[in-house]
Amino acid sequence: MHEFDDHDSIILCHSCDLAVRKRALPSSSRAICPRCHTVLYDSPYCSINGMLALCIAALIIFIPANLLPVLEIHFLGSVRTTTVIQAAVTVWAEGYWVVGLAVMVAAVIAPGLLILSILTQVMIVKLKLHSSFWQRAYSTLLKNHGSISQMTMLEIYVISFLVSAFQLSDFSDVYFGMGTFSFTMLFVIILFLQREYNLEHMWSYVDA
Amino acid sequence: MPNTPISATNNLSTTSEATVVDCNDVTTTKTQPHLQGQKIGLCLCPVCRKLNLTSNNHCRRCFSQLSNRNYASIQQSWALLITATILLVVANIYPITLLTNRGVVTNDTIFSGISHLVQTGMFPIAIIVFTASILVPWLKIIGLATYLTAISFNLPVSKRKLMVGFHIIEWIGRWSMLDLFVISLTVALVNMGQLLDAKPAPAATAFALVILLTQLAAKVLDTRLLWDRLEQSDDTN
Repeated sequence: MHEFDDHDSIILCHSCDLAVRKRALPSSSRAICPRCHTVLYDSPYCSINGMLALCIAALIIFIPANLLPVLEIHFLGSVRTTTVIQAAVTVWAEGYWVVGLAVMVAAVIAPGLLILSILTQVMIVKLKLHSSFWQRAYSTLLKNHGSISQMTMLEIYVISFLVSAFQLSDFSDVYFGMGTFSFTMLFVIILFLQREYNLEHMWSYVDA
Repeated sequence: MPNTPISATNNLSTTSEATVVDCNDVTTTKTQPHLQGQKIGLCLCPVCRKLNLTSNNHCRRCFSQLSNRNYASIQQSWALLITATILLVVANIYPITLLTNRGVVTNDTIFSGISHLVQTGMFPIAIIVFTASILVPWLKIIGLATYLTAISFNLPVSKRKLMVGFHIIEWIGRWSMLDLFVISLTVALVNMGQLLDAKPAPAATAFALVILLTQLAAKVLDTRLLWDRLEQSDDTN
């Protein structure tokens, strides 16, 4: 059929396979599928420099967020603290390595990979690295972006600080450490980073 | 296929403040059936969502393998979901933490942990934990089972409602991780021998696997199948 030769004016809904005619969107809006209400595409707003700044900020805060104690309890004169990594390692050491691994991936490894992946993508775009090695690396990173960002669960971990603190307050005095502050900041920075990031737009650099 | 003009302009002017724009589909007249990508020989790349011809084997942008429909995904999703259901029952029956308080060892299941929170008067926390560790996993399993049953047996259920439910399931599924985070923090903090000690118990592993398997079951499923199969029985959305 001739009217579909121009592929870029048509978009298919990835949930229900409806063919939809693509058109320009006003800024800060998203197109939804008329049949199943899945988000089809956003108006591309994706600032490379903004993402670079957020990536660097996230990398800096990532270190204290994971190495400083997030919670400390005072119990009969003794003080116990834990960091995010320590918490995961302790559960692993108790023999529950599935739980330890899940916590480690969701709170430490995936966010770290997410920051590094976006940083690499931004650098490749910014420095215009067109050699085949960098282009291959770029599309590999884009292909894995979805699963990495799905595994990142910082917002849930931030809530879990509060829940654990309240649960433990029954037994002893609980205090938040500097790690809590850093971790919450990391969560906020990554939230903004993911808002800025647009996968469709990043893919469009491959076509060029 | 008549060459219908697109009425994009009238929508644009009204949606300058709204955040959601309803795109008009290719068949603008309501009398015509909705046009599936499959019928016009187009499909999306499952990885990068580039539009491709179904006759191609690999995506023209990212070179991933293309598939028009993944029919095996229903069976895969069912298998993952049934495993998750069995594990969720296990996770609810077996203790999830072992608490030693002044020499007395108590096994806490997910439910007894929540009722303990209610008894001590921490209702907001009890509600959060209840949502994350009981409501969300069960809702996810029941929701996905409804969804898969509707596809497998062509049930006359509103497709749009199913799809909205599916998006909710995909989004809330992650929140079950809350319980695991809390366990890991508690176990790392509370280790003072006979006085006060917390240790994870078998249900923790089962619960972690439930989260993993239900997330996979939702990810694996090719949702386009819902719209194909129910289209045949000619019901209205």
